[in-house]
Amino acid sequence: MRVLGRRDDHAWSQEHLSHYVEGDLSWLARRRLELHAEECPDCSRGIRAVRALLRLMHATADRSGAAPASIFDRVRADAARGETDQARET
Amino acid sequence: MTRSLTTRRPVQTAERDLVRGAQAGEVAAFEQLVGEHADRLYAVAVRLVVDRTEAEDVVQESLLRAWRGIGRFKGHSMFSTWLYRIAVNESNRALERRLRRGVAIPIDEEFVQIPAPAHDGPASQAEQEELRHGLDTAIASLAPPYRTALVLRDIEGLSASEAAKIAGVGEAAFKSRLHQARLKVRAALDDTALIAAPI
Repeated sequence: MRVLGRRDDHAWSQEHLSHYVEGDLSWLARRRLELHAEECPDCSRGIRAVRALLRLMHATADRSGAAPASIFDRVRADAARGETDQARET
Repeated sequence: MTRSLTTRRPVQTAERDLVRGAQAGEVAAFEQLVGEHADRLYAVAVRLVVDRTEAEDVVQESLLRAWRGIGRFKGHSMFSTWLYRIAVNESNRALERRLRRGVAIPIDEEFVQIPAPAHDGPASQAEQEELRHGLDTAIASLAPPYRTALVLRDIEGLSASEAAKIAGVGEAAFKSRLHQARLKVRAALDDTALIAAPI
């Protein structure tokens, strides 16, 4: 069975660029993609694009800002109701 | 780039004490316990529901559920994993309600207009803004399970294992969603702009 250098390498590589970057490919599959990418500008560029995409997404992590001060409002109201109920029972 | 909740803040006696306090009904203990995660929870909710007002509602409701359910937290998972899972579920409920009302997913303008780093020139700022706008739109256009995978792993930087637990699926299924999501987002963006982006 010929695993490396197959005719469908390009389509396969394009679908597995993210797996490659994530480290989710077996050694053989990794070699298959690397050998193809060495000769394929599209796939070589694809690897760089996926890596850049991951960097860009990671860089957006802190853009949402701080959580609003109101986030505990319902918890506090619920706790206060609980205390009132408890006081009524005693 | 993995930002594990587990390694970022290992289980400590202090956390166990706060969990016990919260389980005993101490609001201050609960607020302290949750406070450390509040900004990240809000960020995840904003990304998942793509609307700041709705995200605030989602986080409020998630914290209320966590407060009422803290007695059921047995410590089999990290507290943060348990809390994030509640927030992801609540985000999904908000999205389902929106779907039933037939409301389209908004793109929060405040959310997408992000100032570029000061060291960039005007041309690069405009390009970067356009790229980030494209990225936000592409992420917002993903179906919720794919968006969740991308947000937890690639934006929040959690490990695939932890993110899969939060999403409530096995790791293999999670990774399949993640790779599909990346394919879709990359297809919506320009490779040249991506590679040239000054990040």
